[in-house]
Amino acid sequence: MSDSKSFLRTLLDKKGTGVTPDKHALFDAFAADPDTENLCKQILEFQNTLMANWQIKSRIADINAQQVIIPNGTVGKPYHAVIDFQKLGWKDVIETSVTGLEQLGLAYDPTAGTITGTPTASGDNKLIFRYKLAGVAMEQQERTIAIVINPDPKSLWKNIPSPADGPYHKPDDMAVAGQLGDKRIVIASKRGRSHANVGSYRDDDFAYKHLDDTEWSVVAVADGAGSAKISRKGSEIACNGIIDYFAANIPGEAFSEIDAILKTHAEAKSDETQKKLSAFLYHNLGKAALSVYKKLEEFAKTAETPIKDLHSTLIFALIKKYSFGYAILTFGVGDCPIGMMNKDKTEITLLNWLDVGEFGGGTRFITMPEIFQSPKFATRFGFRLVDDFSYLMLMTDGIYDPKFVVEANLEKIDNWNAFLADLNGKNDEGIKVDFDPGNKDIASQLSAWMDFWSPGNHDDRTLAIIY
Amino acid sequence: MGGLPTIIFMRRLPVYFLLDTSGSMYGEPIQALNNALSGMINTLRSDAQALDSLWISIITFDREIKEVAPLTELVSFQLPEITCPQSGPTNMGEALHFLCDKVTAEVKKSTPTQKGDWKPLLFIMTDGSPSDIGLFKEAIPKVKAMNFGAVVACAAGPKAKDEYMKELTNTVVHLDTADNSTLKQFFKWVSDTIEMGNKSHGTGETVSLPEPPSELHLVI
Repeated sequence: MSDSKSFLRTLLDKKGTGVTPDKHALFDAFAADPDTENLCKQILEFQNTLMANWQIKSRIADINAQQVIIPNGTVGKPYHAVIDFQKLGWKDVIETSVTGLEQLGLAYDPTAGTITGTPTASGDNKLIFRYKLAGVAMEQQERTIAIVINPDPKSLWKNIPSPADGPYHKPDDMAVAGQLGDKRIVIASKRGRSHANVGSYRDDDFAYKHLDDTEWSVVAVADGAGSAKISRKGSEIACNGIIDYFAANIPGEAFSEIDAILKTHAEAKSDETQKKLSAFLYHNLGKAALSVYKKLEEFAKTAETPIKDLHSTLIFALIKKYSFGYAILTFGVGDCPIGMMNKDKTEITLLNWLDVGEFGGGTRFITMPEIFQSPKFATRFGFRLVDDFSYLMLMTDGIYDPKFVVEANLEKIDNWNAFLADLNGKNDEGIKVDFDPGNKDIASQLSAWMDFWSPGNHDDRTLAIIY
Repeated sequence: MGGLPTIIFMRRLPVYFLLDTSGSMYGEPIQALNNALSGMINTLRSDAQALDSLWISIITFDREIKEVAPLTELVSFQLPEITCPQSGPTNMGEALHFLCDKVTAEVKKSTPTQKGDWKPLLFIMTDGSPSDIGLFKEAIPKVKAMNFGAVVACAAGPKAKDEYMKELTNTVVHLDTADNSTLKQFFKWVSDTIEMGNKSHGTGETVSLPEPPSELHLVI
């Protein structure tokens, strides 16, 4: 049956005027009439056009409603996104273009369907995507595609000075260097970006002293808890408290016995001398730590504030040179490591263990009375007698987190050598700390080095190096 | 740098949103919620600290529990349109169980070789009360054992029941209405709270929350 004949038959059926058997011949002649054929052809053509037009409309609506997700970009970071025509089922989408990219520093390649470049401006943007459908004469259609460009995190950090006259104020940055017995010391302590961003104070602190008459050196480093209101004062009291305690007590009776114990220990190391040393550490360094706790408690009482507002970690080391080597005594509470590299830099000795909770930032503080009662208190002390050492370092987690990341890395000498290389200029900024004893600028060099960028690590940074 | 690829080990602040999409949220409230969330994400995107460490997960609950946005870093996060059915129950209990499984699987704890995440934060918003009370009661000790840095529950609108929320956490915020401006205020405060999340603290202590704006009533 011809197209027009079958169309006619369907039309008549639909309208309820079926062709009865006696009119078959008449119908055939009617259908074959050129006028009828012509009319049917025209109707069919109109129908086809209508169908095609509808399909185009519906296709455009589908394309415009389809979710097109392209990844977020970041200012300054090379960006590459693909509008995957294959995956989107857009084989019929042609002559595409995208508007709105230029001001973002990006460009669209219609052949590859890629958006590339390095974003220059941040924001939540709507791009206009224009296209045509293949095989259809039409105007360009348009839809939007969302693209999020994050700001460059570096550009967001503000550097607001802390109020110079606020309660318990302290300088934002400090750096010192000097002689420490026959060794040298350099210490820098820097306010972290998280504090600089809001104009708050540095919570870290440090203090050191060489006691000329007894030849002992004391170095203390403390990190006030970010969550505690006046922990900056806590860390200051802790560091100064340690220096004051030993300045007052080392010349006294209790401390004099250590010389004799160490001498015997150096000559003939035995369980007996080890035991005496442990007892000495426990009593004298333990007392020093407890005296700091008491000072903090007293301060809290006077300031009418809970002691937890003063939460601070504390590490300290006592160093003395004897004819038989260097004695190094340490104590630590919190998550700040003390590491000593041997003369050849082939071995690292960790002089304390770290209080690390199961979640980030969780640790213990010198302000927690329970640490003194814990059976682990005795294990917080460290002792080494060595011929010599190359570097003895005390650092807060602001250094340890970005540079060593996890505890296990502290145990590997390779990581310490990498850390030394970093200090020696092997870093993105090319800043070198020159450990030549004659270098007068070492403090400012260490301070400059400490500005290193590390995503996610914006805590205060304190590093003390005895070399 | 110091030889170690620090970026891989970055310490994350995981933040979970548990949002009520039951029938009663249909219409203006869900629109207001979408607007407020989008505003919050934009605010956080311009926060240096958040951009570096924040990871966000959004779970919705009505008759079904849906993870509409799996835990994703803020930098790559794309906020989905949150929709809700026109009617149906509020399966908050089931949602809490689902959440606990997610947190257990996703949040990293410190080990000698792995950097632990910051304590995760949880924000729950509802405009009603749980329909699955049995499951809800069972979920309470489970949620507490998750060790969240903070759990903030928001009861929005006149039908929201504070007392269920109080069983979950001490921090319950009551909003009189779930309209655009109130929700915006609330989520602004949420972003302030998030900014408190990545600070060192004593083991076992929780995150201290900033003062809420006067529009929000802290339920005592």
